[in-house]
Amino acid sequence: MRNWRSSGLLPRLRSALPIIIFGLLALFAIHPWISPHSGGAAPRAIVLYGFSILGEVMNEGVFPAFREEWRERTGEEVELISSFAGSGTVTNQIIMGVPAQIVLLATELDAQRLADADLTQPRSWRNLPCGGVVNRSPFVIFVRGGNPKRIADFSDLTRPGIGIIHPDPMTSGGANWAVVAEYGAGLRQNPSNPEAGYQLLLGIWKNIAALSASARGARTEFEQGFGDALITYEQEAVRDKARSRFKLEVVYPRRTILSEHTLLLLDHNIAPGERELVEAFANFMWSEKAQRIFVNYGFRSVDESLNLENPEFGKIQDPFLIEDLGGWPEAKKRIIDGIWKNRVLKDLKQ
Amino acid sequence: MSPDIPDVSTAKTRPHSAIAPVGLLVLVLLPLLLMPLAAIFIFAFEGGLSTFITALSSPDAVFALRFSLFIAFATAAVNAVLGTFAAYILSKYRFPGERPLGIVVNLPVAIPTVVVGTSLLLLWGPIGLLGKFLGKFGLEPMFTPFGVLLAHLFVTFPYMLGSVKPVLDELETTYEEAAYTMGASRWQTFRYVILPALRGGLFTGTLLTFAHSLGEFGATVLVSGNLRLRTQTAPLYIFAQFEAGNVANANAVAAVLAVLSFIIFFFLLQYTGGQGRRA
Repeated sequence: MRNWRSSGLLPRLRSALPIIIFGLLALFAIHPWISPHSGGAAPRAIVLYGFSILGEVMNEGVFPAFREEWRERTGEEVELISSFAGSGTVTNQIIMGVPAQIVLLATELDAQRLADADLTQPRSWRNLPCGGVVNRSPFVIFVRGGNPKRIADFSDLTRPGIGIIHPDPMTSGGANWAVVAEYGAGLRQNPSNPEAGYQLLLGIWKNIAALSASARGARTEFEQGFGDALITYEQEAVRDKARSRFKLEVVYPRRTILSEHTLLLLDHNIAPGERELVEAFANFMWSEKAQRIFVNYGFRSVDESLNLENPEFGKIQDPFLIEDLGGWPEAKKRIIDGIWKNRVLKDLKQ
Repeated sequence: MSPDIPDVSTAKTRPHSAIAPVGLLVLVLLPLLLMPLAAIFIFAFEGGLSTFITALSSPDAVFALRFSLFIAFATAAVNAVLGTFAAYILSKYRFPGERPLGIVVNLPVAIPTVVVGTSLLLLWGPIGLLGKFLGKFGLEPMFTPFGVLLAHLFVTFPYMLGSVKPVLDELETTYEEAAYTMGASRWQTFRYVILPALRGGLFTGTLLTFAHSLGEFGATVLVSGNLRLRTQTAPLYIFAQFEAGNVANANAVAAVLAVLSFIIFFFLLQYTGGQGRRA
């Protein structure tokens, strides 16, 4: 034993350890390029950028279904290369030049920004099925288990002593939906009073306890125990309920908006040889198979009959769409900028 | 036997007097450093070993780890050469503008990595100063593995320089002069006289570069486009999974990164410790 150690085998082994470990790491890093199995061309890929809540359903549900269908039809294996972040962030990444071919945005406003930056034809998405809308989700209120503050509708959020967690309309697509939901709910409750929308919006915003950069961020904050109520997508709850992971409670307002999520194609990133594949995938999103997957993951389908298949969807007495408020360009100018930014935020400062 | 007795008695009293300060230090370090690190491992194995392995064997996680290692090796290799070259020039030559140049090459330490990412985008990106021009030839370095490599080379540049230049500065010029008098060329002198003396600095610098590249986030998130299976590094994967609420996936990869950094640190420590003993 002593002889063995003095022969220097152990120290030599110790000094060789870094070489061995880094050699193995290097082998792991490059083995796909040197292994004989990976020969042949890499499969063709579709590059998709989307807003955050769509990540799971696209990666785990819709794309695998499309890959299978494409394999059956053509025998070719295709790959999905995707990235998910807040809708505003995705829009900015695309303006900076990421190679996205298909984009899924939380609101048509972000699509409009891409058109303004000359990255797509104005309103190009309107030529797609359903005006480019792939799915919907109503805006609802999350409350603590047992609903201790007895919140039943948006109007209850205006009561003093209630703390609301809200995404920030400056950065979050979902927050823009929330603002028009709040405004529209007030307006529709009292159509004879033109100030009713403004009054409900102001009442809710008086109780904002914290703003978060994204809808996901707001939810995380709420789950950490801040605030009494959170205004967000129904989808956030439905999917978790199905897996019995949901510890909060959902309150369906009597009147609320159904958000609409817009798909668009970025032609300058689609090579002529890829167009058929990219368009096939885009069109697949409106197929019954894909729409059913959306419903399974908690989104409301553009095909109303499929929505009956998910028992977790709650009933809304008076749902409305952005068209009912004049469409996004009009709503942005009149409600987000005109009323929320120029009146509500200013009144709150006083 | 008897000579040991006084040793034992002093050994007994010394830890006693150190209890308060050492305890205070541990108490401060516990929530600051030790507990957060422990939390990664506790949560990574919360669902049992099988969950941990499933999380690690998803194609996205495997790709992210492999891509990170690949970039780290490439960054370390390129900067080992570039950094040594820069250190050699800055150490052996006297020229006007030497000081400003010395500051510039060390600047990446001080610049926030997000700023590095932005500046690279504004130069090489499709709307950037050079990128607009390159795009006409179909060259788009940003949002590709090459763009990630560029960012990592930028961010880690000073580590090699910082490890090698001090050694070069202290190296006795007499050996070099002797080599020249014996008729050695500049390259031969470098290869047979200087390089062997640099081994320690090269080792430390390469490890530091490797470790930093493995963990780089701020610049990478901007220049990579964060595409899974294409340009998503391990830190980006951790962040994306955390954002999406898949904490288990994020933790599994975080645990692997933590272990890798422990290994690198262990080698560094062993090397510097070994040197200290020899000195």
